[in-house]
Amino acid sequence: MKRSDLQSNLAMMIVLLSGAMLFATLFMGYAIYRTSAPVWPPLGIPKISLFIPFLSTLVISVSSWFAYQFKTYVKVSNFIKAHSNLNWTLLTGFGFLAMQSYFWFHLKNTGVFLGTSGIFGSVIYGYTWIHAIHMVLGLGSLTYLKIVLRPETVNVLQKAINVEKFWHFLGIIWIIMFLTLFVL
Amino acid sequence: MSGGFNEIHPEPTTFWDKYIISFDHKVIAKQFLWYGIFFLGLGGMMALLIRWTLAYPGVPFPVLGNILFSQSGGVVPPDTYAMLFTMHGTIMIFYAITPILIGAFGNYCIPLMIGARDMAFPMLNMLSFWFAFLSGVVLLISLFLPLGAAAGGWTSYPTLSTIIGSPGAGQTLWCLAIFLFGASSTMGAVNYVTTVITLRAPGMGYFDMPLTVWGLWLTAILNAIFVPVLGAGVILLMMDRVMGTTFFLAGASATSGSGDPVLFQHVFWIFGHPEVYILILPAWGIVSDLLSFFSRKPAFGAKATALAMTAVTVLSTLVYGHHMFTTQMSPLLTQSFMTLTMTISIPSAIFFANWLGTIWKGSIRFDSPMLFSLGVVFVFGLGGLTGLHLGTVTTDLYLHDTYFVVGHFHYTMAASVLLGGFAGIYFWFPKMFGKMMNETMAKIHFWGTMIPLNGIFFGMLMIGYGGMHRRIYNPFVYESLKRLIPINQMITTSAIIMGAFQILFVINFIWSLRKGAKAPNNPWEVGTLEWTIPSPPVHHNYDVIPVVKCGPHELGNPNLKNGRDFQYQTEELVEG
Amino acid sequence: MGLLNLSASTSWWELSKPPLDISTNGHLIDELFNYTTVLCLFYFVLVCIGLFGFSYLYSRKRHKVPYYTYGNKKKHLLVTAIIGAAVFLTIDLNITRIANNDLMGKFWKWPDPKTEKVLRVEVMAQQWMWSFRYAGPDDQFGTADDVVTNNDLRVPVNTKILFHLTSKDVIHSFFVPNVRLKVDTIPGRITRVWWDVNVPGVYDIACAEMCGTHHYLMKAQLTVYTQEDFNRWIASSEKIALNTNDPADANLAWGWKWEK
Repeated sequence: MKRSDLQSNLAMMIVLLSGAMLFATLFMGYAIYRTSAPVWPPLGIPKISLFIPFLSTLVISVSSWFAYQFKTYVKVSNFIKAHSNLNWTLLTGFGFLAMQSYFWFHLKNTGVFLGTSGIFGSVIYGYTWIHAIHMVLGLGSLTYLKIVLRPETVNVLQKAINVEKFWHFLGIIWIIMFLTLFVL
Repeated sequence: MSGGFNEIHPEPTTFWDKYIISFDHKVIAKQFLWYGIFFLGLGGMMALLIRWTLAYPGVPFPVLGNILFSQSGGVVPPDTYAMLFTMHGTIMIFYAITPILIGAFGNYCIPLMIGARDMAFPMLNMLSFWFAFLSGVVLLISLFLPLGAAAGGWTSYPTLSTIIGSPGAGQTLWCLAIFLFGASSTMGAVNYVTTVITLRAPGMGYFDMPLTVWGLWLTAILNAIFVPVLGAGVILLMMDRVMGTTFFLAGASATSGSGDPVLFQHVFWIFGHPEVYILILPAWGIVSDLLSFFSRKPAFGAKATALAMTAVTVLSTLVYGHHMFTTQMSPLLTQSFMTLTMTISIPSAIFFANWLGTIWKGSIRFDSPMLFSLGVVFVFGLGGLTGLHLGTVTTDLYLHDTYFVVGHFHYTMAASVLLGGFAGIYFWFPKMFGKMMNETMAKIHFWGTMIPLNGIFFGMLMIGYGGMHRRIYNPFVYESLKRLIPINQMITTSAIIMGAFQILFVINFIWSLRKGAKAPNNPWEVGTLEWTIPSPPVHHNYDVIPVVKCGPHELGNPNLKNGRDFQYQTEELVEG
Repeated sequence: MGLLNLSASTSWWELSKPPLDISTNGHLIDELFNYTTVLCLFYFVLVCIGLFGFSYLYSRKRHKVPYYTYGNKKKHLLVTAIIGAAVFLTIDLNITRIANNDLMGKFWKWPDPKTEKVLRVEVMAQQWMWSFRYAGPDDQFGTADDVVTNNDLRVPVNTKILFHLTSKDVIHSFFVPNVRLKVDTIPGRITRVWWDVNVPGVYDIACAEMCGTHHYLMKAQLTVYTQEDFNRWIASSEKIALNTNDPADANLAWGWKWEK
C-alpha cells in the first residue's frame, strides 16, 4: 500500500472511531434512561408505527449497497458505472432524509412532542436529528465526490473508499438506532 | 484532504500564506503558542481576581477593580465571581494548557523529532488551529453578553447549566465553544496519531522515539477517543438549552421529567478523567526526556516509562467514577472505581522510580529546562499523593468539593503542566526562534514561580482540609471558616508574587526574540533528530530524511572517542 | 492594610485542622486521612531525598562522569518492580480495605427505623435554602402535622438520624463539616445520609456543590440538643405545626412518602 493511502485509511479509521464514541455515548445515555424508567415507552406516549422507520432502514441499506458498488467500479476504473451508482447512492441518501423529515411530522401528528413528551420525545427527536446532521455531512462528501469523480483526479480511489466507509458507518448507526430506539 | 507523502512542499511566499493560513507545522505550533500564552495571561488575571475576592471579601480590587467593576465600587460582584471561576477553569484547561502543550509542542516536536518534513495532513493541521481560534473567539464574545458568560463551573453540571439555572446565552456559547474546540482537538489527534505511525524516519522503531513523542502520541489517542464523548454531552446540553429537550432535566422543574442530571456527570467524567491525563502526558514525556538530557545519561528504564505511560492511559479510562462518589452510586460501582483508581499508583510509582533513576549517578547540568523538570517531579509528587486521599471513598466524602480538591488538581494539572510547559519552552525556544533565552532571567523565573506556587497550592490543601468548600464567593459568611482568613491571605499574596514573576518570563521571551544571542544548532548537546538541523529549521525541515540508528538518549557513553559525550540518533551506536 | 496577617496567635497548622468532630463515626475519616497522609509523607520524603540528594551529589561539579546505564539490568528492573509493589501493598491495599470497611460497615450501613431508634428527616434543597421536614406525631411524611423548618436543623444527641434528600431545582450538596460527611442532593432522585452526633452546640451546614450566584449564602444552622431539650422543642413545634400548617401552602407541601 502506498504511504499516502495508509495515512488516509488510518485517518479515516480514527475519524470513525471518534464518531463511534460520540454515538456510543448517546446509546449509553439511552440505556440508562431505558433501564431507570419503570415502563418504556413512558405512560401517556402513543405507540409509534414501525412502518416508516423500517422503510428508512431499507432505504439506507440499499444506499450502502450502492456506495459499495460505486467504490467497486472506481477500483476497476469504470467511471460511467461508478457515476450511475454514485447517483443512486445520492438519491437514496436524500430519500432517507426525506423519509426522516416525513417521520418527524408523523411523530408530531401522533402526539409525540420534543419538549412535552419528556425524555422519550427528547431521545426520539434528538438522536435522529444528530444522525441526520451526520447524514448531511455524508451527502456533502458524496456531492464533492460527484464533482471530482474523474480518472485524472489525484487519489480518487482513496477518496471514494473513505467516503464509502463513512457512508456505511452512518448506515450501521441508523440500523442500531432502529433496533434499539424503535424495535426494542 | 491531501495525504502527505513526506515530500518537500514549496515554500510559501506571501505574508498571508506564510503566517496566517500556514500549512507549516512549525508556524502552526507558534500560532498555538501565542494563542495559549494569550489565554494563559487572561486565565491568570482571572485567578488573581478570584484569589483577591477570597482573601479580602468586599475590598475593591486594586487598580483594575474600578475599571472592571465600576458599578460595585471596584468589588467583584457575586455573579461575576461565578463567571470568573468558570471561565478561569475553562480557559486554563482548554485554551491555555491544551494549545501550549498539545498544540504548540505537539505540532513542533512530533515531525521534527521523528524526522518528518511535516504532519501527515498539513491542511487538517491548519484547520485545527483555525477551529481553535474560532472557538476562542466564541468564548471571548460570551464574556461581553448582557447576562454574562457561563457561570456554572467548568464542569457545568446540569441542571444548573440548563435554562433552569443559567438563563442567557453565555452557557450556550460555552457549549458551542467547547464543541468547536473538541472538533479542533479531534482534527489534531487524527493528524498526530497518523503522523507518528506513518512518518517515523527509517530505522526509528516505537521505542526509538523520544518520550516526548510517546507522551504526545498517547495524548492524541486519548483525545480521539474521549473528546467526542464530551462532544455528545455538550450537544445534548445545548439541545436542552435551545430546543427544549429534557435529557438532563429531572424533578420538580422539568415539566415532564425523568431525564437524568447525573448522566451528564458520567459523560463529563468519562471524558474528564482521561482529559487530566491528556494534559499531563505531554508534560511527563517532556520531563522524562529532559531529565535524561541534562543528567547526561540515558533515560533510566525508558521502555518501562513508555509502557507505564501507556498503562496509565488505559487505566485513566476506567476510573472516572471517583469524581462522583458523593452522588451515591451503587456500592459495587463505588468500590470498583476506588480500587481501580488506586491501581494508577503502580505505574505512577514506576515513573518516579525511573525519573529518580535517571538523575541517579548522572552529571547534572542545572540549566533552566532542567530546573523546571525537577520542579515537575516535586510538584507532581505532591499532587499525585494527595490524589490518594480523594480516591478513597470515605475521606472523599469529607474532602469532595473542598479546596483540598482544588489544591490537588492544581498541583497535578496546573503546577506540573505549567512547569513542564516552561521547561519545554526554555528547551525548544532556541530551535523554534533561533535565539537563546536569557538564562539568568530564566533561573529567577524558576524560583519566582516554584516557591509561591507551592505557597498557593499547599495553602489550598490546608484550607480544604480545614473545611473550606469550593466556589464560594465569600467563605467567611461561615463563622467556622473565619479562622482560615490568614491562610487565604497567604495564598493570595503568593499568587500575586507568582503572577509578578510571570512578567519576567514575558520580558525574557520578547527580549530574547529580538536581542537574544544567536542559537547554535545544538545548544543543549543532545542527540535527538531536531538538533541535527539548523536553528531555526528550514521550511521543509530535512533536506535528506535522516536514517535512525540508535535511541534518543545516547548520552554519557564511555566508548565515545570523538570528544562529545552524546550521540546523534543518526549515528551508529558506539559499543565497547 | 497589610497583605499578611501575621499577628494570628495560633499557627497555620493549628488553624487548618478540620472543625471539631461531633459525630460517632467522623473520627474514622480523620484517622484514615492521617494514616494516608503519613504513608504519603513517607513516600514523598523518599522522593525528596532522591530529588535533592541526587541533585546535590551528582551535579556536574561533583560528579563529572555520568554512569552509563539504561536502567534495564535485572537489578534495576527488580528495584523498580519492588517500588511499584511496595506502593501498592503498603498504601493502596491498606487504605482501600479500611475505606471499604468504614463505608459498608458504618457510613452506608443504613439504620432501620423498624428495629432501632432512628430520627427520620426529609431534606429539600433549593436555590438557596435548605428545608427540613420531621414526620410529626403521626410518624408519616407529607401530612399536615409535619414539622417543617427552613435553614434550621435541630437534632438530639446520641440518636441515629437518617436523612432522605432531594432537590427542587439544581444539584446541591448537603455538607456538615463537623460530621465529615456530605452527599449530593439531586433533582429527580433521593439520596441518603445518616449520622449521629454527641456534642450539643450550634454548627454550620453548607452547600458544597456550586448551585448558582448565591451558592455561598446557602447555609443552614445545625443545633444539637440534649434529648430533653430536643423533646421539648419538637413537642412545641408539633403543636405550632398543627395549629398553623396550611395544607394549601405550596412551600410546605413538598414532603413525600418515606420509602425503604
